Amino acid sequence: MIRGFSLIAMGALLALTATQTFAAGDPARGKTKIATCVACHGQDGNSVDPQYPRLAGQYADYLAQALHEYKDGRRGNAIMKGFAATLSDQDIDDVSAYFATMPSKLQGLEHHIQGD
Amino acid sequence: MKRLHLVGLIAVALCAASAAHAEGDKARGRTLVYTCNGCHGVPGYANAYPEYHVPHIVGQNEQYIVNALKAYKSGERTHPTMGAQAQSMSDQEIEDIAAYLSSIAK
Repeated sequence: MIRGFSLIAMGALLALTATQTFAAGDPARGKTKIATCVACHGQDGNSVDPQYPRLAGQYADYLAQALHEYKDGRRGNAIMKGFAATLSDQDIDDVSAYFATMPSKLQGLEHHIQGD
Repeated sequence: MKRLHLVGLIAVALCAASAAHAEGDKARGRTLVYTCNGCHGVPGYANAYPEYHVPHIVGQNEQYIVNALKAYKSGERTHPTMGAQAQSMSDQEIEDIAAYLSSIAK
């Protein structure tokens, strides 16, 4: 009984580890999937037009969250919804990983408040 | 005396023009972002449920910040904390914050 349980537990653990490894975004793979993004966000994710956000150097998990929200409609934007709909979960992780590693103009707010 | 009237008129016209423009005031923005620092100024700080990093906002593009804050304010974009924060901001304050944050791109 105990052996059977341990086996199941080990199997579950393995399965979890496997998914985690698979889900990790790959910047190199992401670079091959950004053809549509660059028109507005720039090749390196530093959008020039001030209405579009800079993506370069943004946290990858925040970018992925935004893409998932566009895809499932929690965040409403007609243009982004259309693009996000074509991305798989793996595509989202790869594209996010790519932009997160680009040279950034973004930074945290620390050291930029009154008195600093 | 007539000249004084003219100066007054010009002053009023200038004020009206700047209000209509609603351009962000960086200096006021710098004071206003004090509140944002609690989350956006903590390196690596994460949102909970679902968990992801609170985004970098310094150096972000001006009009995007304005649009994001107005969408939070109207409820079009939903996030409990950001909705509450944005509802406390006037449109002018949103412009001021966006002007300051976008001005310090690395």
